[in-house]
Amino acid sequence: MTVVRRGAKEPALRGSVVMRWSLWLGAVLVATLAMYLVRPSLDKAHVTLAFLLLVLGASAAGGRALGLTVAGLGFLCFDFFFLPPYNTLTITNPLDWLVLVAFLVTSAIATQLLYRANATAEAATARAIEVDRLAALGAETLNAADAYEALQAIAGVIRASVDADECDIYLYGAEDRATLVARAVRPTADDAAPARAAASSFDGRGSLPLAVRTGSLIDWIVERGTSAVELADGTVRVARGSARQPAGSTASRILLDDPLAAALQAVTHRQGDAKSDVLEVSGDDDSGPRGPSAEPAVRALAFPLRARDRTVGVLRIASAASLTLSPEQARLLTALAYYAALGAERARLTATAERAEAERRVERLRSALLTAISHDLRTPLTTIKGIAEEIRDGADRELAAVIAGEVDWLDSLVGDLLDLSRISSGAVRPALAVNTVDDLLGAALRRASGALRGHEVAVDQPADELLAGVFDFTQTLRSLVNLLDNAGKYAPPGSPIDVRAGTHADRLTIDVMDRGPGVPETERSRIFESFYRPPGVPPDIRGHGLGLAIARGLAEAQEGSVRFRPRPGGGSIFTLELPAAPAFAPEAGRPSIR
Amino acid sequence: MPHADGDSLTVLVIDDEPQIRRLVRNALGAEPLPLDTERDGAAPASAVRVLEAETGQAGIDLAAAEAPALVILDLGLPDMEGLEVCREIRSWSSAPIIVLSARHSDTVKAALLDAGADDYLTKPFSTVEFMARVRAQLRRARRAGSGGTSAVVAFGDLVVDQQRRRVERSGEPIHLTPTEWGLLRALVTHPRQTLTHQQLFKTVWGNVSGDAQQYLRVYVGHLRRKIEHDPVRPRFIQTEPGVGYRFEPDGGAA
Repeated sequence: MTVVRRGAKEPALRGSVVMRWSLWLGAVLVATLAMYLVRPSLDKAHVTLAFLLLVLGASAAGGRALGLTVAGLGFLCFDFFFLPPYNTLTITNPLDWLVLVAFLVTSAIATQLLYRANATAEAATARAIEVDRLAALGAETLNAADAYEALQAIAGVIRASVDADECDIYLYGAEDRATLVARAVRPTADDAAPARAAASSFDGRGSLPLAVRTGSLIDWIVERGTSAVELADGTVRVARGSARQPAGSTASRILLDDPLAAALQAVTHRQGDAKSDVLEVSGDDDSGPRGPSAEPAVRALAFPLRARDRTVGVLRIASAASLTLSPEQARLLTALAYYAALGAERARLTATAERAEAERRVERLRSALLTAISHDLRTPLTTIKGIAEEIRDGADRELAAVIAGEVDWLDSLVGDLLDLSRISSGAVRPALAVNTVDDLLGAALRRASGALRGHEVAVDQPADELLAGVFDFTQTLRSLVNLLDNAGKYAPPGSPIDVRAGTHADRLTIDVMDRGPGVPETERSRIFESFYRPPGVPPDIRGHGLGLAIARGLAEAQEGSVRFRPRPGGGSIFTLELPAAPAFAPEAGRPSIR
Repeated sequence: MPHADGDSLTVLVIDDEPQIRRLVRNALGAEPLPLDTERDGAAPASAVRVLEAETGQAGIDLAAAEAPALVILDLGLPDMEGLEVCREIRSWSSAPIIVLSARHSDTVKAALLDAGADDYLTKPFSTVEFMARVRAQLRRARRAGSGGTSAVVAFGDLVVDQQRRRVERSGEPIHLTPTEWGLLRALVTHPRQTLTHQQLFKTVWGNVSGDAQQYLRVYVGHLRRKIEHDPVRPRFIQTEPGVGYRFEPDGGAA
């Protein structure tokens, strides 16, 4: 069964059509020649049957046009070569006329019947494909791990289904603004990737004013709940009526009502019939209705996605050339839009759930913070106050060193608390840059030198390769320093600490390995929690219980991670993992600069 | 130019918090600042005259009227951004500016250095550290006034010949690419001074922006691997995390 696809396949298709036609017309000529050679021994019925067989074959293989053409050619050949007087088109015997006409009529009826059967089969196939596509999309939507991935998949399928250049899905969510969350564009000739996904940004396509205008149009659609079509001459047509649905008027199922139908009418029925429900507004200001003028081509179509009686997003499809939909495509689009609405609703719910989870985390942190402030801050403050009074009353001034020490402790605690609140509120904005491991290790060892005092620190990294990664230097430094501090603090004095750097595929790893007590199996899931302190730690080891939480939080804020695993032979390995920098060859001369 | 009347040295402190001003005043007055560290022994003790300003505008006016030898600038001023004060003073004065800041991000620090500040200290700082920075800045300002450095400079076993563009380590010539040479020259000619990534980039590549900027740190990495014995524990090219690099000429003596 051949499935006719539009678009990229066309040149190949045209080639095969020419082939088929030549083949069948050639077959008629070959048959004529063969029968001509044995003409004396042939009856008219034989010739008729042979040509009829060819007509049937051609109709089945090449459709109605080919069938009729073959019939016509057969008719001429029959008359010319096989009806006396031979080699003329004139016919003397009236009965021969009957044979010829019977041949022609039989051919035409057979061709028509075959064509109809084929068309029905093709329609059935198209339906089957439609159903397949919907089923696949349903499965994909349900299976996608991430609501945004699902929307991306839906955008891709819609774009392909209606054969548009691009399909955008905007989400109308938390910030009371519509934001672009998924975009599928037609793969260009030199870009064989299936559908390039560009998340939430206008990448180079069109000028900025156009993007801004599209943005405000989307907001407008969300606000009014109507659809709009953008025309080639830059104007925008907006469907009238059906402004806001009265709240709670209909059942709570996903519904997609008049707006889409109105928009589809504008795109599918281009015959200039009454445009009763479409009025024209100019691109920038609401200058009111104007009479419909000459019809420019439709460039884009945008309509609201509705779920549970509220607008959850906007779908926009656009083509550089004119955008027209066949009735089948329009029907498919209506069905697919349900999925888009479902997907948008799911993304919105996910965002809401994530916000709730974040709030819960902040709440947990707040209570832990209160404990920390009351205990960890007040203890050193009490010490400072007491010593200050002792010195005032004539005590040894050397005690001032204790005050300085307590202040350093308080300072580091304040720094940790600030970092922690920044991480947990998602306010860490990493300044990503290409940084070298040499720089990172050097700065980290220098900064952690206090905690590492008394330990033998060995650095192991490839000697002939300058390791580099893409990360925020300061935040990563803090992360690594915390790991080194941790090792220096808990490993027994004098024990060696090894630092090993390397790359695995496109990841950069830095292992901090100690010969300390390790982490008991039962505690492993908790060591990265805020304010966690291992049980049974001697009181002379002071810590906030924030170091590892901050190390992990800062790493994760920049697509990195911190993991623990026990070290063979005793001790711990903490691994900081980051994106490696793309390979870079040092220049022979100056680097090329655009 | 910074000037000293007779044997007194003028320092301007711009800070709205009286406690910090008192701290700085006491630290500066506690020990005499040597006017000339080059000639040991002959260093006459100088009295320090401390001027104080509570606002950025008052600070700028005082700096213009009194031409202090050193400016201490706090970032959290009530009337204007510390960055603006810094830029304004730097536009007509070459006096060293030391910035005091409370936990500001490294991007702010880098922006301050780009705007002409010479050094910064994060609160809380110790007075010992503070005075060390003050002395270093005064020493550097004095040197800058006494003419350029010579063409051939030796830092321990590292010898840099600026005129002939040659670098030797332990007598062995080192081959540097043009970019590495540009970086090294920029660093060597600004000893003990933190050069921001931006400043280094401008010096080496000029006023263009491009992909190369991304790889500035990689170039420094390659340079370091050529001139340092241990690139992770460098003696000469020190990293100022998130800000830039600093050349320590004394590193070679260690």
